[in-house]
Amino acid sequence: MSTRSTVDNALASGWFGAGLTDAARAHLADMAHLTSYPIGEVVIREGQAIDSLAVVVEGRLALRLNVPGRGAVTVLTIEPGDVIGWSALIPPHRATSTIVVLEPTSVVELEGAALRARLDEDPILAAAVLWRLLDAVARRLSATRTQLLDLFAQPDREPW
Amino acid sequence: MAQAIASTNVPRWLPADQLDRLIDVLRADGRTIIGPTVRDGAIVLAEIQGAADLPAGRGDEASPGRYRVTQREDSRRFDHAVGPMSPKRWTFPPRAPIRLGRRTSAGVRFSGVDPRPTPRPTPLAFIGVRACELAAIKIQDHVFLDGPAVDGDYRARRASAFLVAVECATPTSTCFCTSMGTGPEVTTGFDVVLTELDDGFIVRVGSPAGVTVVDALSLSPADGSAMKAAEAVVAGARDAMGSPMNMENVHEGLQASPEHPGWAAVAERCLSCTNCTLVCPTCFCTSVVERSDLDGSISTSERTWDSCFNEGFAKVAGGSFRPLVKDRYRQWLTHKFSTWWDQFGSSGCVGCGRCIAWCPAGIDVREELAVIGGVGPVPMPQLSVVAAATEAPVTISPGSVPAAFVTVHVDGSSRETADTMTLHLNTTDRRLLAGRPGQFVMATLPAFSAAPISISRFRSDGLDLTIRAAGPATRALTELERGSTLGVRGPLGRGWPVEEMTGRDVVIVAGGVGLAPLRPLIDACLAERDALGAVRIYLGARTPTDRLFVEEVGRLALRMDIEVEETVDRAGPVWLGRVGIVTQLFDHATWDGRNAVAFVCGPERMMQATSEVLFSRGIDVDRTWVTLERNMSCGVGLCGHCQLGKFFVCKDGPVFSLAELGPAFTTDGL
Repeated sequence: MSTRSTVDNALASGWFGAGLTDAARAHLADMAHLTSYPIGEVVIREGQAIDSLAVVVEGRLALRLNVPGRGAVTVLTIEPGDVIGWSALIPPHRATSTIVVLEPTSVVELEGAALRARLDEDPILAAAVLWRLLDAVARRLSATRTQLLDLFAQPDREPW
Repeated sequence: MAQAIASTNVPRWLPADQLDRLIDVLRADGRTIIGPTVRDGAIVLAEIQGAADLPAGRGDEASPGRYRVTQREDSRRFDHAVGPMSPKRWTFPPRAPIRLGRRTSAGVRFSGVDPRPTPRPTPLAFIGVRACELAAIKIQDHVFLDGPAVDGDYRARRASAFLVAVECATPTSTCFCTSMGTGPEVTTGFDVVLTELDDGFIVRVGSPAGVTVVDALSLSPADGSAMKAAEAVVAGARDAMGSPMNMENVHEGLQASPEHPGWAAVAERCLSCTNCTLVCPTCFCTSVVERSDLDGSISTSERTWDSCFNEGFAKVAGGSFRPLVKDRYRQWLTHKFSTWWDQFGSSGCVGCGRCIAWCPAGIDVREELAVIGGVGPVPMPQLSVVAAATEAPVTISPGSVPAAFVTVHVDGSSRETADTMTLHLNTTDRRLLAGRPGQFVMATLPAFSAAPISISRFRSDGLDLTIRAAGPATRALTELERGSTLGVRGPLGRGWPVEEMTGRDVVIVAGGVGLAPLRPLIDACLAERDALGAVRIYLGARTPTDRLFVEEVGRLALRMDIEVEETVDRAGPVWLGRVGIVTQLFDHATWDGRNAVAFVCGPERMMQATSEVLFSRGIDVDRTWVTLERNMSCGVGLCGHCQLGKFFVCKDGPVFSLAELGPAFTTDGL
């Protein structure tokens, strides 16, 4: 069982938690716990209901999409500080990708329904947390756009 | 001596029927005489045998998209403006062989086409050269002769040229030399100048060679009435052109307007036909065409005129940097009237008006300058095209530049990816071995065009070139095996500012094959490790199999004194490393970039994204260095292909700081 200060410290160690106010981080730490995943564990499966938001403290996870005929394609890896399971806050609360553990990973986990209820009744905390979450999602959107450009692709071969 | 001075100062009189005497004196020196003559409905320049070939009694008229030869009432030979041709046709011919490549049993060999140490083309004399054309010759002299690289072919041709100028009497509606400060008066740069009257010529001299020629004619001094009539001729020409344009703001105005809607508007009319650049007496861009025998054992490299309006002009393996006509028109007009000042200290336009008359769409540069460049009709003090620049041209290139290909031996090669090889070359060429990280070479084989290749390692006995097979020339290079030879010219360009690293943290960001020019910089970091702060290397690639120098990077990553992070854009399930764009490796890092210097190489869009993140980490634009890819062909700033705004990427770069590049880094189609 993780103590509150361990969770707080774990949160503060990454960019997501470090950017929260001390008060907001303390509120989150109150309702969070540390969880570890071994290599190969499927933390979230695409399309399934998702009931927790987590901030990665240590390790690496692959965010994968399955393409029939092409197999699983890793589109992003998630590193310490990054957020997984933002769908837990946003309806319909279903995972948009599959997340697989590549290196032994520990996360600070927040139960989705409880977090939603807490943010609903505490607008100040909601403002703090949702700004960070917006940052995380915007960053992923921007990165995905750049990735979409496929900048390192070779052009069509010259007609020679 | 007394007579020479007298000849210099006293205008002489040459009766109209004795013009052949002047021509004969020039021919007696073994010169080919080039003068105006009527051919194909135009007054062109051609080799003439005597005064009878000159266009006596013919004039011309020109307006946008129109040129006609007219019949005059007198029989003057030079009372016309300029036709489509200029002396450039001879001093800088449309085609000139520059190099021979041979495959011999001892390997490939490259040499000049003329076995003599100093090539001596047939000496020339031009007769009827106008003030605008003298200004154009002066401009080309500066481009080709004042370094850092010198065009030997131009130098030889130009040195032999004797210039008989003629004062303009009847300009056409397309003439605007008064706006460019180049005419109509002939003031400098000639050997002899004639002012034509109905019954003869006032003859003045402008050089020691001119004195010799005029002395040989033993002419009597011109009388006062003839002198007065001659003055009226030039004054009349000036009046005929009306008020000069105000060119004061054009330098800044054009460079400040890359997104002006006028570019798209003119592009709707422009056919991108290249006529304007071919008739321009100062345009100097060239390409090299390889002509080979069937088995490739001997090939001639021929320099040919090229044009920034050609679609392939700014093309590299990944596409064209100026895909639209709008981009190409902007390049031409901006170069001619604006960035030429930055590069060469003068305008690139002399106001001859050829580009207006010979444009099939009738585009008038004067109108485009008024729309886009803020040029007004108000008479203003003229900019002198030949005056010293207010601001020194860009000279951040090394002093001397290697002009010849040397033969180097392939000691072995390593496959990096499916289409990329690293050649390990042996050479004793001291210049090559003394290159700096970030410099490149032109590499070639007989019968193939030369390709710019990054030097990916310097060794005491040679260097590495990392080459991606993107076309036939680079494919042939990647297929070279141990024991074979190739031609290499370099090192070229300005490399990474290695000295900037001392006492600072170093951040190196590479995307794809962009790691190749950064590898010598990483070598320099290792050699100077104690003098540097933290060293952080971030590498991106498309997929795991597109990574370069995999084993070497793996060994670097094991070092405790260097941080190495890698990511790929996409991967299958077997890849356990990072996936995501390269900026994600450091956009939430905790290091502070205020004492860091950054070096970035990869696709331009990736470098832009990277630069933004580096800036947000505290690395200012004068401490972020990028290396640019452009169509580098000559490598020494003479062929014009690699221009980016005021820069020749090959000689002013390819390494630039973001501060130097400014908006040029992010302007589309520049």
